[in-house]
Amino acid sequence: MSIFESYQSDSSFDEIYDADGNIKEYWKEILQSVESAGDALLKSKQEDIEWHIESNGVTFNSYESSKKSTNRYWSMDPIPFVIQEEEWDELTLGLQQRAKLLNLILKDLYSERKLIKENIIPAEVVFGHKGYAKEVYNLGSLENFSLQFYATDIARGPDGRFWVISDKTQAPSGLGYAIENRLTMNAISKEIYPDIQIKKLYPFIEDYKNQLKKLSGDDLSKAAILTPGVHNQTYFEHAYLSAHLQVNLVQGADLLSKNGSLWLKSLSGLKEINTLIRRVDDRYCDPLELKSSSQLGVAGAVDALRQGNLNMLNPIGSAILENAGLNPFMEKIAEYFLQEKLILPQIATWWCGQPKELAFVLENIQKFIIKKIDRTEKVEIYFVSKLSAEELESLKASLQNAPHQYVAQEEMHFSTVPYYKNELLEPRNAVIRTFSVKKDESYSVMKGGLVRVSASKDTLLLSSQQGGTSKDLWILSNQEEISYAYDFSIYSPYVETAIQNIPTLKAENLFWFGRYLARSIVTARLISHLIKRITNFYRYEIDTSKEAQEILQKALTHMTMTYPGFLGEINKETMERFPMTEIRSVIKDSNRVGSLSFTVSMLKNTHTNLKDLLTLESSKLFDRLDRNWQLFLGRKKESTLYIANDVEQFLIYIMAYKELVKESIFKEQGLTLYVIGYKIESALLLISVMRSVVCMKVDKYIEYDLLESLLKTQESFNAYRAYYKSSLTLENVLDFLVLHSQFPKSLSYMISELLAAFKELPKAKEYVTSYEKPMLEAQGLLKDVSMKTLLETQEEDGVYVDLDTLFGDLSALFLKCSDEFSHTYFSHYDE
Amino acid sequence: MIYTIYHKTSFKYQSMVSFSHNIARLQPQESRFQKLRQFSMEITPQPFESNDFKDVYGNDNKHILIREPHKELTVIGKSRVEIFPELIEENIVALQKNSISYKDALQRLTNFHVDDVEAKEFLFESELITKASKEIREYALESFQPTRDLYEAALEFMERIFKDFAFVSGFSDITTPIEEIFKAKKGVCQDFAQFAIAALRSIGLPAKYMSGYIETLPPEGEEKLFGVDASHAWFALYIPNAGWAEFDPTNNMVPREQHIKLGSGKDYYDISPLKGVVLSSGSSHLNVMVDVRREKEPKEFSMQSQSKESKEQVQNQF
Repeated sequence: MSIFESYQSDSSFDEIYDADGNIKEYWKEILQSVESAGDALLKSKQEDIEWHIESNGVTFNSYESSKKSTNRYWSMDPIPFVIQEEEWDELTLGLQQRAKLLNLILKDLYSERKLIKENIIPAEVVFGHKGYAKEVYNLGSLENFSLQFYATDIARGPDGRFWVISDKTQAPSGLGYAIENRLTMNAISKEIYPDIQIKKLYPFIEDYKNQLKKLSGDDLSKAAILTPGVHNQTYFEHAYLSAHLQVNLVQGADLLSKNGSLWLKSLSGLKEINTLIRRVDDRYCDPLELKSSSQLGVAGAVDALRQGNLNMLNPIGSAILENAGLNPFMEKIAEYFLQEKLILPQIATWWCGQPKELAFVLENIQKFIIKKIDRTEKVEIYFVSKLSAEELESLKASLQNAPHQYVAQEEMHFSTVPYYKNELLEPRNAVIRTFSVKKDESYSVMKGGLVRVSASKDTLLLSSQQGGTSKDLWILSNQEEISYAYDFSIYSPYVETAIQNIPTLKAENLFWFGRYLARSIVTARLISHLIKRITNFYRYEIDTSKEAQEILQKALTHMTMTYPGFLGEINKETMERFPMTEIRSVIKDSNRVGSLSFTVSMLKNTHTNLKDLLTLESSKLFDRLDRNWQLFLGRKKESTLYIANDVEQFLIYIMAYKELVKESIFKEQGLTLYVIGYKIESALLLISVMRSVVCMKVDKYIEYDLLESLLKTQESFNAYRAYYKSSLTLENVLDFLVLHSQFPKSLSYMISELLAAFKELPKAKEYVTSYEKPMLEAQGLLKDVSMKTLLETQEEDGVYVDLDTLFGDLSALFLKCSDEFSHTYFSHYDE
Repeated sequence: MIYTIYHKTSFKYQSMVSFSHNIARLQPQESRFQKLRQFSMEITPQPFESNDFKDVYGNDNKHILIREPHKELTVIGKSRVEIFPELIEENIVALQKNSISYKDALQRLTNFHVDDVEAKEFLFESELITKASKEIREYALESFQPTRDLYEAALEFMERIFKDFAFVSGFSDITTPIEEIFKAKKGVCQDFAQFAIAALRSIGLPAKYMSGYIETLPPEGEEKLFGVDASHAWFALYIPNAGWAEFDPTNNMVPREQHIKLGSGKDYYDISPLKGVVLSSGSSHLNVMVDVRREKEPKEFSMQSQSKESKEQVQNQF
């Protein structure tokens, strides 16, 4: 076996060899397949895998750059970790036993506490662990306050058995990645491993869904996945599971509590939620009773649990089970609860809270790995043999200071598996994450799992955060596996397909997405126009009216509300001579509310939150737009022409993005909300500019100049020309931008569009709603208006008073409409 | 003897709040030593719903949801509490009698004893009372020598805090770190209680935060004004073989008939009178008013004719 020639000499204790160094029978077919596939096929399959992962958007956010989380793609190699069915069945018994035990511990610690009172486990192992949640005291006796879903990390030890490495109980991750790994493997395995029969994953997914149905009272619409949000490390998985399980994906802000229950805020109103798959850590679930600074939970969640109106997978308080301090007592616990011996071996562990054990550990400390029993705040693991003298002294001091918080474990070597990368096969350490879900009195264990592989040949520590990679786990099957008509591909990502069910947070994001997008575009256009005038881009023969320029600059200040800006009295002269200083600030100063960069960063937030609605192209386009924008913001002291160029580039990208957005989102997914936000914002900004630019009576030349600018900043110049075929007059321009019934950018047109859009939403009524009313009023105002009369009156004033009043009224009506609309759909406080 | 207690807590918000979840803890806990004769809670604005529950420490909690736009939330607890001084005295005597040495206490706490199990929760740090420094530990050990009786040591420890620390209000708030209090040697009753608890936990003894009221008396010959009292705090030390013993370092006294207990916990947060979560911009401001007064004893042993009268008086107050 050529490809494995050098492999054997590299590995000391490997999955594929038996004790005598011969290849294990059940690996032979796999290895032969790999062998006959050859480098070329393996390499091309590895590329296929990467393509699958990327095109499915499988990502893993890493926090390593400390502040900013970065999205990175998941990775997997084409060689599976293989286990025989008989061995797996035995292992399953051990995993089921451990799940049952942990469940009994959980229920006991939050009810009678017999384990402590009867001296089965020391009180310090519980009370000294930050995962102990006194707030859920006494809830352990509730039937559904149970360990519902459990992940165990296991690895093969030198004796050939699988050992428990650690327990994941509060919000275990990895199931989504395991499913995705399998689907990706399915796509390539036909060619490499044509004849191999393996166990399928779907029976487990069915069991999981059934448990979810049981908990939710047979109504999955009452279940939801609670995610900390798009910036979380494993957000991909949250969205992915929501698709596979077909349940809502919600954040704390999507929920509120009343009547002792949780409710999902959706466009059509409040919907009860009785089951949460919780991916938010225990202490962050309820700012009222748990960590008060948390923004990830919902006030009242603990009370909903307490009143028996909410089930959680897993309940708040489950973090107490992620507790290395329990290990030394598991044998006793198994005896106490089940009168059984532990099936799965655990790494030999000494809890330092007992004087005898502490003395023993301190004496032999070089042999050990020292761990903190709780991982709630920070994971602490010390490989004593690798510590400096100084570090060792400080560790000893910590041990003596708080002995009950530490355990010592024997250092153990686990098996390696072949890992393929860059045309090379290497032995790498691997840990299997198994998954169990509660099923009646016992647990169903997934026939498969997530295999995590160490980041390099010689590292033992495994952490996906440190750039490890993964493998699929194959349980070989002895008989032909029957494929039921259960096809994973029937699942398309779960997004609400009925507008009335859209969660309010998403709806609000869509609305503001529209508003920020409109604001970004209109602001950039006005700025671009101003800069072009300054650089004399339009090549006027006369030094174009300085007065017009100043009026337009003031319009920018008004529109962006970056007061005092060009209206300020201080530095007035410098402002007039060097307007670019102020304009540059209105573009780039992200701390200035209203600046273009401020608006773009708000847009980016809403974009990020809506990613799952947008096509991959629009996301990629936005990433590029953002990258260029950040580079532009970072550049100091570039010339005005360069700025003009960059703003222009920005406009090109953002217009393209806008078009993609419209194509991405279906109406039923909430496009209407985006449209409403976009129209309201566009109207408000148009009114603002018109108010600054045309309400003052000015010299005819200046007026002409201003009207041209007004039309250009609204991208309406050509349309006007085409329609009127005449020179610019104030009356015609106003008719066009305000009253025209066919021109999509006129106020009248936008009002009709808004009124039509409102009818598509779930709270549309037979009668006039509070948010429709201001639009109908605006429509009424415009119906009776004649621009001619508005402009004719009040000759002696410097201002077209009636016109200004009209704009003032319209602006107030649009704002009112926006407020009432937000109140009706986004607040829920009176439901 | 019976105390009438009026305890008003209110939040004033800068902007309108239309939805808020709150937890109020204003109902004095019952025990062998005090009985709650009467209790009522007034909440303004009217709650949309409320739910009562007992927490792990036996404190009475009221979960309140307000769904009416408001700028101020006021919760008033009115209680009548009867104190049994003889039982308290008896208990103190028993605690002293059963108290053991510091060394023996540590020995017993290291091992299993069924009576000590629940108290062990109070060995560990909490959000407000973090692990104390070496300096605080040493300060505590001055009173707690290995062979010394725990109760006596605690009495001395209480007295030292009373003498070494100055009562200064305005210097600290509830979140001021214990180390800072220790350095400045000043603070108010909550600070002294939390400092003592941190110190005791640091030397391996379970200690808990006691919240309640203390009777204050006006200067000789003057009428006591309404609402001049404050909430009070002290600490309790767990003495293996004896039980929980209470000490008030602010007044250098063992709580007897002048202390009325509201509740207890690992620190102030476990028994704060009112906490809430609101969605609103702007800050909020907390206002507290407390009045504690002893009801006049019915003078049963004076002249017969008066006895009847005063009994009626008592009844009128129900």
